[in-house]
Amino acid sequence: MSAGPYNYSYIFKYIIIGDMGVGKSCLLHQFTEKKFMADCPHTIGVEFGTRIIEVSGQKIKLQIWDTAGQERFRAVTRSYYRGAAGALMVYDITRRSTYNHLSSWLTDTRNLTNPSTVIFLIGNKCDLDAQRDVTYEEASKFAEENGLMFVEASAKTGDNVEEAFLETAKKIYQSIQDGRLDLNAAESGVQHKPSQPGRNNLSNDQQGNKDNCAC
Amino acid sequence: MESSDSDNFESADEDFEFEKFEKGSNTTKHHHPVPKSDTAKAAILIPKAPPSTDVNQNKKETSESETLTPEIVNSDKSKSEGSLIKDDEGNKQYQTKAVPQLEVAAKDTVKHDVEIEACDNSRGSNVTGDAQDPDDDSENLWNEGEGWGVDDESDNTAIPNVQGKEKMEASPKTAPIEEDAWSNEGWEIWESDSKEIMIPNPAKTDNQSNLDPKWKGWSNWGVSSILSTATQSVSTLTSSVSQGLSTVASTIESSIGAPEPAELALSNRAEKKSLPAEITSSDHNNKNSMGFGLSNIGSLVSGVSKLVESTSTKVISGGLDTLETIGKKTMEVIQEGDPGLKKKRAFLNLEGEKPVLSQVLREAKEKAEQENKARQEKHFAKKVNYESIFDDHQGLVHLEALEMLSKQCDMKLQLLFESSSGDALMEIQETLAQVKELCELPNEEDEEQLSLEELKERLASAVKELDVNITYDRLISMWEETECWLNNVNLSICDENELHQQAVETLAQLTAIAVEQFHKAGELLLIKDHHSTADEADSLVQLTTTLTSLIGIAASKFSDKMNCKAVGDSNKESVNSLITNIFYEAANSSSYIQDAFQLLVPVIEMGAV
Repeated sequence: MSAGPYNYSYIFKYIIIGDMGVGKSCLLHQFTEKKFMADCPHTIGVEFGTRIIEVSGQKIKLQIWDTAGQERFRAVTRSYYRGAAGALMVYDITRRSTYNHLSSWLTDTRNLTNPSTVIFLIGNKCDLDAQRDVTYEEASKFAEENGLMFVEASAKTGDNVEEAFLETAKKIYQSIQDGRLDLNAAESGVQHKPSQPGRNNLSNDQQGNKDNCAC
Repeated sequence: MESSDSDNFESADEDFEFEKFEKGSNTTKHHHPVPKSDTAKAAILIPKAPPSTDVNQNKKETSESETLTPEIVNSDKSKSEGSLIKDDEGNKQYQTKAVPQLEVAAKDTVKHDVEIEACDNSRGSNVTGDAQDPDDDSENLWNEGEGWGVDDESDNTAIPNVQGKEKMEASPKTAPIEEDAWSNEGWEIWESDSKEIMIPNPAKTDNQSNLDPKWKGWSNWGVSSILSTATQSVSTLTSSVSQGLSTVASTIESSIGAPEPAELALSNRAEKKSLPAEITSSDHNNKNSMGFGLSNIGSLVSGVSKLVESTSTKVISGGLDTLETIGKKTMEVIQEGDPGLKKKRAFLNLEGEKPVLSQVLREAKEKAEQENKARQEKHFAKKVNYESIFDDHQGLVHLEALEMLSKQCDMKLQLLFESSSGDALMEIQETLAQVKELCELPNEEDEEQLSLEELKERLASAVKELDVNITYDRLISMWEETECWLNNVNLSICDENELHQQAVETLAQLTAIAVEQFHKAGELLLIKDHHSTADEADSLVQLTTTLTSLIGIAASKFSDKMNCKAVGDSNKESVNSLITNIFYEAANSSSYIQDAFQLLVPVIEMGAV
């Protein structure tokens, strides 16, 4: 086991939301494993994924909460929005109903996260253009009206998946640089690890040992 | 109960009023008791809100009041209950919160009111004393009032008269309010107050209507000086109240209006002039024996005093309205951007109580990671870190999610507490107590050696009983592999550090899976339609004890191997410290599992209520 995975300076919490079957878990899987999961089981409550990315030379660990889309889990998943730095709101471009429900998902997101949370709208399954039910223009207009970032992606082909996750991270990182996002706020969804190798090593070492011995 | 005397007296009075009301009940209904219910509300709520009032306690008290009411007020049941329930649902929340801060202001207002009267007339000081003295019982108040009546006969000015009557009739109302606000003695006081506040109303309403025709006649009296003095006194009253809270002035002015007090004074005086002698007796009647033979005079007196009383009630309730407004405003500010105060409540109730486990773990993990970095730089072998492995297996984030779920349930239960009362509340409390009892973990069990088969069986039966779709297959297969590894490990190749690392990894992984499945169980329990709380609790207790004993078994198996390593090893001390560390991490693992179980308790409770 190498120290590599722990070598990051920020943790961002993401939450993926949207109707059942729009491909939330598949997007996550594509992003973390770079693979398409053909028959993905229904998510129960919430599942997690992590990946470390790099933004402006900073290593950032994305802690992604992939929520269940089923209506019966709605109350449960509402508990999980809190403290998300990024929210990926997903609909299926081949099913209009999933697009129509976006306003309800958006309301939940706005109510349950903080104002600095970056909301990214993803129109999934763009590989199925022949069955398209929602035009790009329409969704783009909706995103613009609501101040959302927007992209059409495909969890199957991997188109724009990486971009959606990375753009969100960039926007969050920008907010941190601008000072719009307060790192010290409990619900910012960002954890900063001000680890500076070579400093305080000794004291840390001693403390660590002490902790291990004291029961 | 502060005085049994006053109690007896009041119940006698109550009987009378009740009877009277029965007689007159079909005569009139048009004089509605709104100001009264306001006063009642105030008397109930103001004293019940000491600065650090616990919401639950408040709740309990309110429910108590509701159970009391029907016994006290029979004929007036619907009215009084209605007002109580209304303020229970609608206003209770902000009143209980707002009043503590405003209590001082409330006192000031009422005090001013009283003090002005004290300046205006000689007898006033006595009355004021009554009103302010919390230990004074109602009988004294009445006597004082009676005295007033007598004095009035020789007194030619209308103002003291008005105020005297006002005080006499109003004191049973004003006094309790102040009493309670100041002495904060609790429900015993209120209990007696409630009788006075709610019962006399219908009877007096009755008299009021009888009186109405006579008013026109008296208005021809035209004693302008009296009229202006009366107006003046009312305005003094008004301004004195407004001194504390400027809004009150407008409230009173709009609710009373200038002519009414004037008319009031006029009529009162007229009554005194024409019936000087009877007043004392009728007053006396009012107090003791009014049940029989109510003369027209008697009804005049009480009718007029009713008016005065309602005026003073309006002043008081006007003040209370203002307090209400301020309270509402305060609440609005507090609630801004936080509907239902969910966040703040959570912050105050929950976050203060328990440290957030996932946070503690995360910090520990980060510290260890930093430490590792340092070690690496010094070319030390990387030390395995429990928290990092636990996090790698999503244990940390599942724990965090479970915490959020648990907190959400806690808040919902809290809201349920606040929105229910009486029997329903009792029932909820009982249920929750039962759930807590069911969820008590047995004390440290003896280290039992579970075989793989026993482990499978126990987990399977527990999961079956829980009746949600979770599985410990992953945990079982992992443990299977570990046992296999332990049985086949070649101790001559594997050094103690590798053994130690394997042990810590195993413990962290087992715990991560256990926590994950607890989290899943929590989610599934919340969406389950039918709950068998006893089974759920029993199953989760069973799971918890099984999993913690598995942790114990894992730790002892690894330390056995370590001990083999220690025999004949020159490095005995370091091996022993590694063994100690394994048991330390095992103890941690068990407590994480138990904590995760505790986080599920509110979830089970949600299912039960």
